[in-house]
Amino acid sequence: MNQIVRKSLPLAAVLVFAARVAGAQSFQNFVTVGDSLIAGEESGCVVQRFQERSWVTITAAQLGQSDFEQPWISEVAATNPLTGYPCLGLTLTGTSLSLAIVSETGTNTNIALPRPYNNLGFNGSPLMADFVDLTVTTPGASDLDNLAGRVLRNCQGCPFQGMSAVDQANLLTPDLVAFWGGNNDVLNAMFAGVAIVGVTITPVDSFTTSTNQVIAGLSASGRTLVTGNIPDIIDIPYATTVPPVVVDPTTMQPVLVGGQPVPLLGPGDDAFPCTPVPPDMGCPLPQGSLVMLPASTALGQGIGIPKALGGTGLPLPHGTFTPPSTLNVGVILYPDDIALIESTIPAYNQAIAAAASANGATVIDSNALFAEVAKNGYDIGGIHLSTAYATGGIFSYDGVHPAPSGYGIVADDFIQLLNTVKGTKIPRPNFSNILFTPNVPNIVSSVSTADSGPWHYSLDTWKGFLNSGLARKFAIVTPTAPDAPRMVPHLPSAPRTARRVERHDTN
Amino acid sequence: MTQGAKATGMGLAFTGIADDPSAIFYNPAGIGFQDHFSIMVGAAVLSRASTDFTGANPYPGIGATGSVQKQVFGLPNVYIVVPLTNELKFGVGIDEPYGLGVRWNNPETWSGRFISQNAIIKSADINPVFSYKLFPELSISAGAVYRFSGVQLERNTAATDPFTQAQVDVAHTKLYSGLGDNGAWGYNAAILWKPVPSVGIGASYRSKITVDYTGTATVTARPTGDPVFDQLVASSGIFGVHPVKTQVAFPASLNIGAGINFGGGWTVGLEADWTEWSSFQALNITFPDGSLPNIDRSTAWNDSWAYRIGIEKNFGGWAVRAGYYFDNTPQPEKDAGPILADNDRDVFTAGFGYNTPQWGFDIGGAYIVLKDRQVLTQSTDNFFGTYSEKAWAAVADIRFSF
Repeated sequence: MNQIVRKSLPLAAVLVFAARVAGAQSFQNFVTVGDSLIAGEESGCVVQRFQERSWVTITAAQLGQSDFEQPWISEVAATNPLTGYPCLGLTLTGTSLSLAIVSETGTNTNIALPRPYNNLGFNGSPLMADFVDLTVTTPGASDLDNLAGRVLRNCQGCPFQGMSAVDQANLLTPDLVAFWGGNNDVLNAMFAGVAIVGVTITPVDSFTTSTNQVIAGLSASGRTLVTGNIPDIIDIPYATTVPPVVVDPTTMQPVLVGGQPVPLLGPGDDAFPCTPVPPDMGCPLPQGSLVMLPASTALGQGIGIPKALGGTGLPLPHGTFTPPSTLNVGVILYPDDIALIESTIPAYNQAIAAAASANGATVIDSNALFAEVAKNGYDIGGIHLSTAYATGGIFSYDGVHPAPSGYGIVADDFIQLLNTVKGTKIPRPNFSNILFTPNVPNIVSSVSTADSGPWHYSLDTWKGFLNSGLARKFAIVTPTAPDAPRMVPHLPSAPRTARRVERHDTN
Repeated sequence: MTQGAKATGMGLAFTGIADDPSAIFYNPAGIGFQDHFSIMVGAAVLSRASTDFTGANPYPGIGATGSVQKQVFGLPNVYIVVPLTNELKFGVGIDEPYGLGVRWNNPETWSGRFISQNAIIKSADINPVFSYKLFPELSISAGAVYRFSGVQLERNTAATDPFTQAQVDVAHTKLYSGLGDNGAWGYNAAILWKPVPSVGIGASYRSKITVDYTGTATVTARPTGDPVFDQLVASSGIFGVHPVKTQVAFPASLNIGAGINFGGGWTVGLEADWTEWSSFQALNITFPDGSLPNIDRSTAWNDSWAYRIGIEKNFGGWAVRAGYYFDNTPQPEKDAGPILADNDRDVFTAGFGYNTPQWGFDIGGAYIVLKDRQVLTQSTDNFFGTYSEKAWAAVADIRFSF
């Protein structure tokens, strides 16, 4: 046996060398599995305009894979009421900047592809378990079912019924698989405005089990499997844009009383109980709290702002859970929520690293990449990009998903990792195209919904996040803004001409 | 490199020869062997034959190109030698040892415009020296150098258009500090030994000179076509004239050379020059009023060596010359970019002159071929591609001795 091994070694060395020499053409069949970051979501939706500029598409192009197939979702003019999922854009309404719905999702124009898509990423806040468990989708049952269904096509009577994303990936016998999922297992805490293990955060042991299933399921002999890990979501613009203190809407600078900024009001939680001091009905947010982007709408209505500063004195909502299944969602995270999120992410990443190690997969350290970009921005050719909301260039209008530049950075990082680890010579992407191409719909919606507030973020958008993933498990109760004088007369919200309505996915 | 026509014609292998007033620059100990009051006036012209850029991914990407304007720079020089005694000589030189000028064509569309559209460094030295002949065969020299210097950097600024998420040009910044506005002192020292009349062995050292610059940053708008966005940019308060500071550390250098007269009018010069470019570790630009973000750019250059050889054939008063040198670039790949993309260079020189004890003139020329500078793996600016450059220089001077 030893002799056989020894005799085989030179041959193996030659084969490895030959494979390295042939590195430029080393991958022929690229398949991706994961959540919205694989699907290419931007600004609240997945449409072809965004799909074409996703990191997955960029990477496939750099690999030279011309038959890389995706479920191309058409982008259509926004209707009133909406019939698809809304896509956000920044618009000018009168003299006010507003984040508005500028288009909506249409149909999957590649629905008849007789094989699984190479890109099996889907949005709708899928959890890690969904990549192996979601074997049958039921249109209309939830937004996740609708969104995943048009990618997986595994509903009753559909061509891939009973097949999960992992199953379909294997059906394609790829030689390169990129997986990036598990983000929503902790991100939902941010969308719900409260961190509760088992409700808005997947328990680490469950996450570990699911991760092992996904990674093992995607592994195969001779296949290169690369998996992303979980970025520190606390640093995304969704959580960092709105400061936890009262801001002068004219200057966008903190209001100082006695030389000190004035915290916004919250209802308190178990770790930070609240006994309101009238006339306010909430308590100052403790230092270290975070206010989510959708709070913009409430702030614009005076919620969260002390009466002494002209606000309503009402607290910004914080999420709570009422067993057995009612989730009252909020827009703030207390320090104990943040601590729980921050302790969960490393545990998740440890599980991902362990699963990758056990199955011969390579981890791409998305956490480190994002930490670097969040700290220093990204400089290329004298152009500085940052994670600042709307103006930084890296994140899209939802404050959660990357913009084309952000996806370009991810693609470049992925390609460089492959070239380093696998000795390939995949060309890096061309950022001139990425940086200078306007990212606007080529259609004009006759109607658009806008909901501004100081940060121009739509409450409807926020509800869109919640309605997708968490709604499969919980009854979601969103706070209803009371009628209150607007705090920012120079930034009026545009008339809400369309409310979010029950949507009927066309797939 | 173009401080004297004779030296230029001989590939700058002049440290061991140093037998005309331009010795004040190349090896001031050489004036210890010059016994007449002399004045030499000259000028050099430098120009690019071509500088072309071809882009690579990730930025500016395959398909991007650029070229540098073929500017012609004129650089005058003056050298005066004053014998005070048989042993003690005084000299003063005015010349321009360091300069840079890179003005890119099509500056508003050139893909490197956010790094540099136009970069200029000018310098002018006043260099008084004393030379003393310790022995008939040995001369030493020391002097002071005051360097005037000015810098200019022009570039555009990009910003994310919040309505389209695309990068657009929003501003143009011109950093300017005049030649007469800044200066600093340095010193030089040299030795020339002629063990026999036909052989000279010399060394010349010039100290590092660090110039602190103050100037202005003039920021003007580049309309984007979207008045709303333009107004948002204007509200940031960046437009206007702001104070700016920077610093450039000009390196120390040590030149070691020999000159050998083989008889029959044949002279050969050999030389090795070391330059302490490692002293150039950063290009930091600060805006004291906080109006613009400071630019902190590490450079991490390396010390460099150049190797030179030159030959002269003398026909009575007339002489013809030729030379060659190889100059290692001090600039690492990651630091090469639109401001400067240097590389190892081969330089071929030629010249001729006519000299009598009372007067003379010399003309020299150089053709400079830089190896293509490929920036494909590392780039501080994240700006990748290949730079190809060729340049030429010509020098002429005239001397009168009394």
